[in-house]
Formats: sequence, structure tokens, C-alpha cells
Amino acid sequence: MIDFNRDEKGCYTDHGVSGYAVAVKLSRREMMGDEFVRNTAEEMMLAIAEKCSELGARTIGHIKSHVRTESGTIKADTIGVLHGAYSSGKFLYPVKDLYMAINSVVHGIPEEAVKAATLEGIHEIAEKYRMTVVREKEHAYFDEFDFVLPPQNGFHLLEAQFAGEDFEDDI
Amino acid sequence: MKVTQVAGFLGCGKTTLLLKLSRLLAENGKRKVALIVNEIGEIPVDGKIIEESGMRVKDIGGGCICCEVAVSFGKTLVMLYRDFRPDHILVEPTGVAIPHQVKSAAKMGMRDAKLTVGVAIVLFDATRPAELLDMDMLGRLVINQVQDADVLAISKVDAVDDATRAEVSKRIREFNDRADVIYLSSFTGEGIEALKEVILNWGEDTA
Repeated sequence: MIDFNRDEKGCYTDHGVSGYAVAVKLSRREMMGDEFVRNTAEEMMLAIAEKCSELGARTIGHIKSHVRTESGTIKADTIGVLHGAYSSGKFLYPVKDLYMAINSVVHGIPEEAVKAATLEGIHEIAEKYRMTVVREKEHAYFDEFDFVLPPQNGFHLLEAQFAGEDFEDDI
Repeated sequence: MKVTQVAGFLGCGKTTLLLKLSRLLAENGKRKVALIVNEIGEIPVDGKIIEESGMRVKDIGGGCICCEVAVSFGKTLVMLYRDFRPDHILVEPTGVAIPHQVKSAAKMGMRDAKLTVGVAIVLFDATRPAELLDMDMLGRLVINQVQDADVLAISKVDAVDDATRAEVSKRIREFNDRADVIYLSSFTGEGIEALKEVILNWGEDTA
């Protein structure tokens, strides 16, 4: 059995792991079904991973996302381009607006680089599929509401927040 | 109240397992189960995914519960004990947490809550053993996680063949030969029932 240093600390910053999180509202003129959103989210995860690697990331830890709409939720993630992306979730019906939370956790590049790769990946894929990035909110989700609410209720709360001016953390 | 951690490196399938394991453990209301999720990054995507399942989830952000925010973790355990009285708390630390440090942090809650520290389940991704163990800097961290495991769950086994399963098992056994090894697939369900039994039957650790 190989013995090893047990004094290793668990703090991720000590290990060169950086995380960046952003929430975005994406809109599209044409309706989006769940398959379309799943494919788009997967492609976005891979684009972010690829850009992180281009910026010098040694390892893609985990790039993950959660999409909320009035019609249902979807999650998508990747642990690296070579591993592909995975998604799950369903909509009850197609939608035009969605809220997406993305968390990129990467080893070997600083947070600013993870941020750049994440935002570039989001915008590149959104543009590719004619989606508009209506709003970005850094470091925090749009809401504080209880996520066990039915999707329609949560969605209306998000819309209500947009009607206000409470966006101090906007990018 | 038994506190069980499901640890392992980033992207190894902790959240997906917790979703299934917590339901199985709750057994249609037979047991009260709460979850604590500690995530790198300021938007708790994992917490949102788990909350959708209707489980009681508490997010802890701002650092690792094994070091930087260990005190918050202890307080959260006490709060859950007082307000919810769960039979089991499943903890998902960050992907870079060290299991024995998470156990130590959990013990901070013992003064004000009647809790026992349960098994440390460490997931190891069967689809990328070399990538994990040979990583510059982080490879050592993954090895420390493996060394700390009471139970090693080789995850995503549905995505590899039998020879790879055996090879992965052999590799991680080099670092920990006392832990039980369970082959796990949250996709097919393989190994989840076995993990539930381990959690339920794990001896109390009040040291």
C-alpha cells in the first residue's frame, strides 16, 4: 500500500482550482423545445470547456448548468470535451425565455480566465442559435425563492424581479 | 441523526447519486433525510437540482466545509437538528474536500446536537482514472480522498467494460486496501442499494 502526505489541505484555492458562476436570461423569437434547449446547453458546456483549455486549464473539473423555464427545467454538464456533455430534463411545452445558472470549476487558470471562457462560451452558442442574452447576473442567481415551487410560480417571481431595479450585481 | 458524506473529485457523480440515494434512504417517509451541499462557485447549481426533487437541502457557500467554512457546517448541522430532526443527513462536500477533515468539521456539531458521524463514501470516476490520479497537483488530492474513504464507490461503471472496472479497482486499492469497494452506476442503479445498507448499518463514531 502506498503511503502519502496526509497534511494536504482541502481548500480549493490552495490547489489552483477556480470557480466562476453566472446566471443569464436567454430569449429567442422562435419557440424552443426541450430537445433544442438540451442540445444548446450541452454545446454551451463544451464551448466553455474548450475555451478554458485554450486559456491553459490543466483539468476541467466540472462545468454545470441548470435551466429554469415556465415549462420545466433542464440540467447539462461536462467534465471535459473528450468526455462529451450530458443533459436531462423535460419541458411541458416549448418556450421563448429561459433562465440559466452556470457554474464553471476548473483547475490551472485564475478566476478571471474562467470568467472570460464562461461568458464567451455562453455568448458564442447563444448567437449561433439566435438567442439573445437579455441579462447577466454575476455570482448570484436571480432569485431567493423556494425551488420546490411549481415551475410556473418560480418563473413569475423571476419575471417580477426583472420589473424592479434590484440588479446591483449585474455585469 | 447520522451524518454521512458522499465525497469525491469534481464531476464524479456526487449530486446524481445523492438524488437517488436520498429517496431510497427516505423510503417513502420511513426516515427523515436532509441534505447539505457545499459547492465551489457562488451559484449552487447542485443545490437547485436537488431541491427540485423536494428534498430538504441546505447550501453552504463561501469556501470548503472541510476547512474555510467548517464552523458554518457545524452550525448548519445543529440548525437542522433543532428545526428538522432528520434521521440522516447526507453531505456533499466540494470536489476537492478531504473526507477526514469533513468528519472533523461535523464533530463540531456534537456539542449542541445529538449526532453521529457515519461512513465516508468516496466516489471515483471509472471513466477517467489516469486523468485523475496523474493530474499535476490535483492527483495528490484525489489520492488523499481515496485514502480517507471508508467505502470506495467506483462511479459511472455503466460507461466502462468489466476489464476497466477491475483495473480501476486495482489502481485505487494501491492507496486504500481497507475500504470496501462498490461498483456504482446512478444511471442503471447498480450499487445504490448496497450504499444505502452501508449507511444504515455503519457503526457509530463518537470519538
